[in-house]
Amino acid sequence: MFKEGMLQVLGVGIYETLYMTLISTLMSYVIGLPIGLALVSTDKEGYFIIPFLGIKIPIVWLNKLLGFVVNVLRSVPFLILLIAVMPITRAIVGTTIGSKATIVPLVIAAAPFIARMVESSLKEVDRGVIEAAESMGASPFQIMFKVLLPEAKPSLLVGAAISITTILGYSAMAGIVGGGGLGAIAMNYGYYRYQQDIMFITVILLVVIVQIMQEVGMKIATMSDKRL
Amino acid sequence: MEQQDVIIELREMSKSFKVKNGVVNALDKIDLKINRGEIFGIIGMSGAGKSTLVRCINLLERPTEGQVLFDGQDLTVLKPAELRQARRSMGMIFQQFNLLMQRTALENVCFPLEISGVKKEEAHKRAEELLEIVGLEERKNSYPSQLSGGQKQRVAIARALTTNPKVLLCDEATSALDPNTTRSILKLLKDINKRLGITVVIITHEMSVIEEVCQRVAIIDNSKIAEIGTVEKIFTAPKSSIGKQLVYSESKPRTQFDDTNRKYCRIVFEGETSFKPVLANMILECNDVVNIMYANTRNIDGQAYGQLIVQLPPDDKTAKKMIAYLETQDVKFEQLSELI
Ligand SMILES: Nc1ncnc2c1ncn2[C@@H]1O[C@H](COP(=O)(O)OP(=O)(O)O)[C@@H](O)[C@H]1O
Ligand SMILES: [Mg+2]
Repeated sequence: MFKEGMLQVLGVGIYETLYMTLISTLMSYVIGLPIGLALVSTDKEGYFIIPFLGIKIPIVWLNKLLGFVVNVLRSVPFLILLIAVMPITRAIVGTTIGSKATIVPLVIAAAPFIARMVESSLKEVDRGVIEAAESMGASPFQIMFKVLLPEAKPSLLVGAAISITTILGYSAMAGIVGGGGLGAIAMNYGYYRYQQDIMFITVILLVVIVQIMQEVGMKIATMSDKRL
Repeated sequence: MEQQDVIIELREMSKSFKVKNGVVNALDKIDLKINRGEIFGIIGMSGAGKSTLVRCINLLERPTEGQVLFDGQDLTVLKPAELRQARRSMGMIFQQFNLLMQRTALENVCFPLEISGVKKEEAHKRAEELLEIVGLEERKNSYPSQLSGGQKQRVAIARALTTNPKVLLCDEATSALDPNTTRSILKLLKDINKRLGITVVIITHEMSVIEEVCQRVAIIDNSKIAEIGTVEKIFTAPKSSIGKQLVYSESKPRTQFDDTNRKYCRIVFEGETSFKPVLANMILECNDVVNIMYANTRNIDGQAYGQLIVQLPPDDKTAKKMIAYLETQDVKFEQLSELI
């Protein structure tokens, strides 16, 4: 059924898909996690003081601004974003084709999504627990790192499982405009060369990878939760 | 009155909340002094402002007006870092325990030490000591979800005590617990007060909690302190209408005076008098029976206190004779025109 070399093509596709997904997820968290934290901790009256610099930013204002940026980015359809950010991609990576280049739009699309996921996970932490920590003299940063994040860990892990599978889906979509990985193979063989069987196989592979990631992610989240 | 050593003082303290359609005045010009070493109760109906009051003491809630003095220091003027330092001298426990769910009992107790930069081994040692004080050393590696309500509150108490606070603030700390567990937690609080000399402030809506452990009590109603005094005084002779409601109607719904032509009388027992058969003697003496409308006696600090509301006989002459008899007895009583 396969022409020779097809297995290798699929192998490289799997590798590229995993590479794009994992690197993009990681980088999206590097950006999205602090934004999520900022969204939560600026969600009331007062000032946010930038450490060391001592610059005061009115908090509600910062919250509105961050929320707006996140919403705008999230409302742009990914396919359009892929094309729209091409100049940025070219500036950073040097090309707009291939799996490395796909990482840029993936991160731009996923970071705001992750910021919202993180925000919602952190908001699940009981207000009373935060208050208890405050009553013990915890500083805002101690509350962030010793209360909010550890208490929200299981929920953050569930969010990570959802995020990583979503990013994998996006990475496949990037195949349309010259990205790498299984999505590109499905496009190139299935769409341009009418090799339905290859398309079918890549779809199955994508489903299997998503399943595994989702299952493993949920398992880790459940195991880490001490409330159960 | 003798000069007392005041540890917490609220001066003309008010707190209002901005809400959508206006302002809620949760506390209105509260003046309150709590003495070092006492167990002080604050009671009131739901929504009276109790939680707001206790949260103003450690400035979890910033008063809109007035001062909060802790050990002579005005907390409202402190910088954030100074305030956090001051808070370490005040432990607080809550109705919902508010433990860190992803940490074991021991790690929970370690938390206050951890955030004040104490070394891990040292923190563990201190936490283990405290878990022993609250009787939970065997459960130190359990997670909160594996503990009962009473055990969770013990962990919370241990955690509140790690920094050697001078004051322990308890906001409805027993309200989520069954009566037996409530009693054991109250006993523990009493014990901590005695052994460690920590001032305890207890917020509750239950008079029974106040009676069981408090020396003095403030009744708060409608954002104001309605009444303040020793528990004995307030329990035997509440002056404010909210005080009367709390004291008289706790164990039973209000009695209705359906027959307004009859005379009613409240007899108050203080200390030993409750062991004298005053009522029985009166009935024998006057040769007629009375109808007991309401009776409630309790043991406060080893002495019996209580009150009795009786409906006197319809015959006016006998009723007067009974009142005359009571006057000869060493007992407090009053004629009632309406209940409460
Ligand atoms: N954060 C808040 N925002 C607005 N209103 C509040 C807030 N906290 C308390 N209140 C109001 O203040 C009053 C007193 O509340 P609280 O102190 O919780 O009463 P208690 O503890 O005696 O039941 C209530 O009317 C309540 O609705
Ligand atoms: Mg309350």
